[in-house]
Amino acid sequence: MKIELGPLSRIEGHLNVKTTITDNIVADAQCVGEMFRGFEAILRGRDPLDAQQITQRICGVCPYAHAIASCYAQEDAYGITPPTNGRILHNLIQGANHLYDYLLQFYQLAALDFVDITAIVNYHGTDRELLQVKDWVKAELATKKTFAGAPFLPRLDGQYIKDNEINIGALKHYLEAMEIQKKANRAAAIFGGKFPHATGIFPGGCSQTPTIDLISAYQSLLEEVRDFIHQKYIPDLLAVAQTFPDYWHIGQSRGGFMSFGLLPLGPGKDSRRLLAPGVVVDGKVKPVDFALITEDVKYARYSSASGLKVSEGELIPAPDKTEAYSWVKAPRYNGQMVEVGATARILADYLQGNNQQVKELVDRFAGMAGVSTKELNSVLGRHLCRAISAVVIADFLLAETERIEPDGLSALELEIPASGEGFGATEASRGALLHYIRLQDHKIEKYECVVPTTWNCSPRDDKGTPGAMESALIGTKVANPAVQIESVRIIHSFDPCLACAVH
Amino acid sequence: MMNRRQFLTMAAGISAAFGVTNLPEPVAAALKQIDPQAIPKLLYLQGQSCSGCSISLLQAQSPSPLTLITRYSQLAFHADLSATSGSQAMNLIERFINGEAGPYILVLEGAIPEKMPSACMIGDKSLARILETAARTMDAAVAIGACACDGGIPGAEGNLSGAIGLPEFFSQRKIEKPVIQIRGCSVHPDWVWQTVVHLVKIGMPKLTATGSPHLFFSHSIHETCPRYHDFQQEIFAAKLGDRGCLFQLGCLGPQTKADCSSRWWNSGQTWCIDASAPCIGCASPLFARQKNMPFYRMKKKKG
Repeated sequence: MKIELGPLSRIEGHLNVKTTITDNIVADAQCVGEMFRGFEAILRGRDPLDAQQITQRICGVCPYAHAIASCYAQEDAYGITPPTNGRILHNLIQGANHLYDYLLQFYQLAALDFVDITAIVNYHGTDRELLQVKDWVKAELATKKTFAGAPFLPRLDGQYIKDNEINIGALKHYLEAMEIQKKANRAAAIFGGKFPHATGIFPGGCSQTPTIDLISAYQSLLEEVRDFIHQKYIPDLLAVAQTFPDYWHIGQSRGGFMSFGLLPLGPGKDSRRLLAPGVVVDGKVKPVDFALITEDVKYARYSSASGLKVSEGELIPAPDKTEAYSWVKAPRYNGQMVEVGATARILADYLQGNNQQVKELVDRFAGMAGVSTKELNSVLGRHLCRAISAVVIADFLLAETERIEPDGLSALELEIPASGEGFGATEASRGALLHYIRLQDHKIEKYECVVPTTWNCSPRDDKGTPGAMESALIGTKVANPAVQIESVRIIHSFDPCLACAVH
Repeated sequence: MMNRRQFLTMAAGISAAFGVTNLPEPVAAALKQIDPQAIPKLLYLQGQSCSGCSISLLQAQSPSPLTLITRYSQLAFHADLSATSGSQAMNLIERFINGEAGPYILVLEGAIPEKMPSACMIGDKSLARILETAARTMDAAVAIGACACDGGIPGAEGNLSGAIGLPEFFSQRKIEKPVIQIRGCSVHPDWVWQTVVHLVKIGMPKLTATGSPHLFFSHSIHETCPRYHDFQQEIFAAKLGDRGCLFQLGCLGPQTKADCSSRWWNSGQTWCIDASAPCIGCASPLFARQKNMPFYRMKKKKG
C-alpha cells in the first residue's frame, strides 16, 4: 500500500514523505523536498557583505545560524579574526536563537503528537489563559462550522497521553513557551538588531556596542529562559519519555553522525568550541574534513554533475528529470550517509569527553530512562539531546555575558579583498551547517551552502543508499497505515526545515 | 491625538475596571463581544518562503499570538502550527479553495514560481494551481512579506524559478481580488495582526499607492529616525559600530516606507538602527532586487 504523508505540518516548509506499507511495516520511504528557490544563483555576482543578509533568508526559523556561518566563511576569506567582544556577541546571538528554537520545536511543533489537547474541555482550575482556551474550544465545538478548533483540530488518529494532569500541564507550558521563546529572541535581538533576520551581525563582530544596560537586559531575559528550560521543558520531556518509552527504540537512522561544533571559546576558526565537532562512525569519532563532503544528485532535480565537492558545487535545476524525486540534494561524508542535528552534536561531544556538563547530563538522563548512548539515536533521543543542548547553551551564554568588555570594540573596519575563499561551519539548531564563499573582483564568484536538513531529508545517493530520515522510517511498525502517527513522530524528531534543505 | 474610537475604547476599559454599570450607549457598544460573524477565516499558505514571517507573527506582544488566534481570527490552516497533516490537511485546504467552507481570506507568505510550477508544491498540487482555484472563492488576499508582495529574495536578480509576488501573479491572470500587501523581510507582527484586527473591528484599512496599510507604511524610516538629529547635524558613522546617522554606510532608511523607527521590533526591545545596523530596505518593493545594488558601502581592498 502506498501512502503519502504530505503535506507535513508542524515542520518548516514543504515536505512530503512517500511510504510503502507492507503488513503494517514501513517497507520504503522517500523524503520529498517540494520547494526550490536557487539561493546560490541569486548570490553569484553580489557584494560579499550581502551574503550574511541574503543567506539568513534561506531560513526564517534559524536565520542567525546562517548569518554566523556566512560571517565565519567571510572572516576566513578576508583573513580577519573578530575581537573578543565580537566573538562573544556572535555567540550570544546564535546561542539564544538555539534556545528559542528548541522550545518552539518541542512545544509548538512536536508536543501535539503526544499531548491530548482535548483534555482542556475537562479543565476545572482557575488559570486565566487555560480558561480562555477552554472557552474558545467549547465555543468552537458548539458551532456547526467545518473544522471547528483549527488549527489545533482536527488531528491525527493515535494514542495520546491519558493523564489529564500531564495534558493540562503541558498545554499550559505550550502557552508559556510561546511567551518564553519571544524572550529568547528579544535577548538575541538586543545585539542582532531584530528577529527574525538580524541586521547587526557582520563578519568580525556586531555593529551594536555592548553597553552595560544592554548586557544586563540580555542576562535578565536569558535567566527567565533558563529557568523555564529547567523547571518546565525538562520535566515535560521526561513525562513524554515515561509515557512513550517505546520511542527510545523507534526511528533509528542507519548511518553515522556529524557535528561541526558550536560556539567558539577563543579566537580563530580552529579554536575549541563549547560543543566539539566530529564525525562519528561505528562509535568512533574523527575530525571533520570539509574536502570529504560531496553532493549526489541522481535522485534530485538537477542536471548538474553528481558527487561534486562543496567548492565545486553547481546548481542547474531540472524540474522534469525522470528518476529524480526531490529538490533536496544528497550530501555524503566520505561517501557515507550521516545524520546531523542534536543527537550528532551531543554524541560527538560526549564521545570526545569535551564538555563535562554534557557528559553528566547524558549519563544522568540516560540513567533515569534506563537507556544507553545507543538509544540517543531514536525519537526520544533526539528530543533529549535538544534539551541537553538547551541546558548547556543557556548556562554558557550567561557565563559569556560576564566576559564582555562593556563599551569595548565589537566590530572591525571591513575592507573587502578582491579575491579569496573561505569555509564557515557551525551548528544550526537542526545540525551541521556549512557555508563556502569564493570572491573574484570583490564580488561573490561562488557561494555554496550545505544545510542540516539537506543531510537529514536527503533522497537516495547515487549508490541508492537512503538518507538519514528515510532510513529511520524504513522498518517502522505502524498501527494505522493511512495516518502513521508513528512515522510523523519520527519525522518531527528530526525537526525538518525544508527551506534550509533546498535553498 | 486620540481618535474617537480610541477614546471610546479607553473609556470603556476604564469604566469596566471601576465596575461602572450605567454606561453611555456608545461605550457599552465598544465593550461588546466581537461579532463572531465578522471574524475572518484565514487560510494561511506558504509559497517559496523561509517561514520568517510566520515566526515573526509568533513574536507578537500585545495582543499575544494566543489572543490573536482565538479572538481576532479563525486560523483554519497554518503549516507551522496545525495539528493535522497529510490527506486530512489537504482535504481541509481543498474544501476552502473549492468554496465549500464558507467565506475566507487567503494569506500568502512566500513567492510563486511562475515559470517552474513544481518548484512549490502543497501535497500533490502546485501552489500556482491552488492560487488559481482559490482566486475564485476567496474574499480577499493578504500578501505577507517581501516574497509574497514582490518576489523578495527568491525573485531577486538571478532568480531561476520565475518567482513573483501575488499581485503580479493575479494581474497576469486578470484576477481582480483585493490584495493587502504587507512588506518587510520579515514583516513586523503588528503590521499583520493589527491589519487583521482592523478588518474585524473596522473593515478594510486605508491603503497606500503600493497596496499597504497606510497606518504602518506612510512615512519613511528616515523621517522619524531617532538619529535624524545626527543627520541634520551631519554627524555620520564612518565605520561599523560608530554612533551617528548611518547614511554613509549605506542606510536605506530614506527610501524605505515603514514605521520601524517609531514602532521598534521584538516587543519594542530594539530595532536595526538602534543596533547601529544600517537599514537594508527590507520593507521596500525594491528590496534586494539588483545584484549591483549592495546593502552596504564599505571599503574595497586592493589586490
